[in-house]
Amino acid sequence: MEGSNNSEDFAVGCLLSIKTTLGDEFDGQVITFDRPSNILVLQEGSKPGPRRNIRFLKANYIKEFSFLGQADDPLDVKKCYIDLHTLQAREELALRQAEAEAERIGVGVTAEAQSIFDALSKTLPVRWDKTVIVVMNEVRVSSPYLPDSVSGGTSVANERVKKVIEFERKRLQARGASQ
Amino acid sequence: MLKGAAAVEMSLQQGSQPKFYANGVGRRRAEREGGARLDNKLQSGKSNSNRSSAVVGAKVGVYESPSRDRLVYLLTCLIGHPVEVHLKNGCICSGTYYTTNVEKEFAIVLKMARMTKDVSFRGQKAETLSKAPSKSLIIPGKEVVQVIAKDVSVTMDGINHELQCEKQQELMIDSFISQSRHVEVERELEPWVPDEDDRQCPELENIFDGPWNRGWDQFETNEMLFGVKSTFDEELYTTKLKRGPDMRELEKEATRIAREIEGEDTQDLHLAEERGIHLHENLDIDEETRFSSVYRGIGIDDSGYDETEDIMLDSHNNETFGATSVSYTIEPEDLTHGKSNEGARVLSSSSLDEAQCSQSCTGADCDTGSCEYARQLASEIPLKSLSTSGCESRIQENLHGEHEGNDSVKEFVEERTVEEAQLLTREDSQSLNGKKDGSDKGALSPNATAYAPSNASSKSYEKTSSCAELSEGSLSVKGAREVQPLNSRGRPGSSTSSNSDCVGAVSVSNGPGLSPSSSVGSLSSEKSTLNPHAKEFKLNPNAKSFTPSQTPVRPPSPDGSFYFQPNVPSLPHMHGMPMGIGIGPSFTGHQPVIFNPQVAALQTPQAYFHPGGPQYGQNMLLGHPRQVLYMPSYQPEMPYKGREF
Repeated sequence: MEGSNNSEDFAVGCLLSIKTTLGDEFDGQVITFDRPSNILVLQEGSKPGPRRNIRFLKANYIKEFSFLGQADDPLDVKKCYIDLHTLQAREELALRQAEAEAERIGVGVTAEAQSIFDALSKTLPVRWDKTVIVVMNEVRVSSPYLPDSVSGGTSVANERVKKVIEFERKRLQARGASQ
Repeated sequence: MLKGAAAVEMSLQQGSQPKFYANGVGRRRAEREGGARLDNKLQSGKSNSNRSSAVVGAKVGVYESPSRDRLVYLLTCLIGHPVEVHLKNGCICSGTYYTTNVEKEFAIVLKMARMTKDVSFRGQKAETLSKAPSKSLIIPGKEVVQVIAKDVSVTMDGINHELQCEKQQELMIDSFISQSRHVEVERELEPWVPDEDDRQCPELENIFDGPWNRGWDQFETNEMLFGVKSTFDEELYTTKLKRGPDMRELEKEATRIAREIEGEDTQDLHLAEERGIHLHENLDIDEETRFSSVYRGIGIDDSGYDETEDIMLDSHNNETFGATSVSYTIEPEDLTHGKSNEGARVLSSSSLDEAQCSQSCTGADCDTGSCEYARQLASEIPLKSLSTSGCESRIQENLHGEHEGNDSVKEFVEERTVEEAQLLTREDSQSLNGKKDGSDKGALSPNATAYAPSNASSKSYEKTSSCAELSEGSLSVKGAREVQPLNSRGRPGSSTSSNSDCVGAVSVSNGPGLSPSSSVGSLSSEKSTLNPHAKEFKLNPNAKSFTPSQTPVRPPSPDGSFYFQPNVPSLPHMHGMPMGIGIGPSFTGHQPVIFNPQVAALQTPQAYFHPGGPQYGQNMLLGHPRQVLYMPSYQPEMPYKGREF
């Protein structure tokens, strides 16, 4: 849709190959270009259907680009309307999920600790207590998250957690070594 | 439009900084004046700065600043969507898109954002500590290089669909798990049409014709081509043929027997099908019955426990093992007395035909139906040749009688009452024939129906009584005739399969081509297999049928004092150890169980633990009304105190 801001370069629908100043390279189709904010909105990928990959790029970061061709307007204006409520619902949902995930991430812990936590969480109920992994509300595993750092709980539970940690560490080492 | 957009943002951010769109209004006006195209419709909407509805549900049409509108539209589509923001310094922030102040410097607000790529720490990867995701992160516009969002829906349908998917994902219902998330459009299915030049598979037409005539030996070819030698030896798989001077004779004899067998009439669906006999063509028999290998009598009601199956199985067994499986014996004396239920195979003379019916109806198609029951006969009469021969003659008699009587009785269930009537009244062939008349049927059918398989659920007692009743009834009805009670007809209950033999196996499969003499002849050779020492089966009319108890094995005893878990072996090592944990996996998910190592005192005054608790290990009582505690420190002798064994 070409309006008053029909730039010779960024016409809607044209296919471009762009290199950014940060080193990104990609191809995309112009959905729109907003002059005042200098933002170019591109659509990437050729997936038909309502879902697309969209990139909002600040035009001043474009190092170079080349014109690949001209295609139709990728946005079907007739279908473009939004229901805010749906959006809000989606947002809430997303936030809920994000929060749930955030629970699983320890704050101020190393990546290794996190991977041990993840491994434990596959079979045991675990949660973070600052930087301590609490298993089954009983067994505590503190830094450096070695089998020796396991404390608390009944001896059976304790043993179990120790074993899992041992096993996970071995696995991580093996994986790390192979990388 | 900008105002509308501002309004949108306002509605989205509850408590957001007003500076984001402080100048929105002013700017907008300026733009509008300079704008080339104005859409009157939209303009009226736009003039109202506080109307968020300008954007809600409004179609994005032609604006003076269409590209800006598009931008805003697309940004709006991003709300709630995960995005990646690339920063000038190379860092990447990931989070849920919240809003942007389009008016000003295009700052981006993300919720639950994290730095997925942080270049500020260098060379300290191992020590990098994770950070909590920011509940809300505002990225200044000038830092932003680009915003990348994947799989964004740009239409309402797409957004709705996405929402549905997400919601479903939350619930993780099975049908959703098994579906692909992104299958949106199904292919339009078209019927396959063969190509023009397909030869219509000509070779299929004659591919199976005369394989022996093709002049091609597959083994030869194989050997030639691949050097593979066939090691097939027919005799490995079948009986070795005695090839010799007698070969022709034997062959003839074998063919004769084969023809005889194959020409037999049969009630068995499967055998009938093999032989090309069409049974029950008009009956509504489902595919399973027709083709399944699970043998059931036709018309068997599968709704409840069916003793018929036992009958069938028993007869099958007999067929297979030559009646050696019969473990009970019936005194011949009893045969002629109206004893209540001697077991299924009570062979009163009357029951001969009954037995015949019962045995043969199981579809056991031995050479002849009569042979079958004759065998049964033999099995049940302990080596008393006298009675046997008596029976044999009976057999012959009844055979003939039965023929006529039974020819028409091909159906099972429907005719069952008829047959029962027949069998009940039994005795001589004439009576057999006469059985079919209404009076007999009438008299007996009420009783007979008492035996109908659908009554399988009734208690044995009732059945037995109805058995007796029946016999009495028949006795009274057939005053003149000697009615041999056939109490065995009844179905005493699920526990006695023997009884059920009679009734269930009612179909008669006497073919017209019977050769009683031969069958009887073979009969005599088989009668020696009975166990003479087996105890006689006497039906206990008061016996109750057994049904597995539905109650839980463990009585929920209110006081619980004496609840004793039979499997105590685990007790010894319960010492100071929570059984629950010992069972590894039972750990997870048992959230309500409180493992409290510090519990000092028991809840109950009794000096041992809660019977329902984890002490026994095998049962984790969740949600038990009494708090489940586990005691790591209990006195060792406690478990055995007051325990009643």
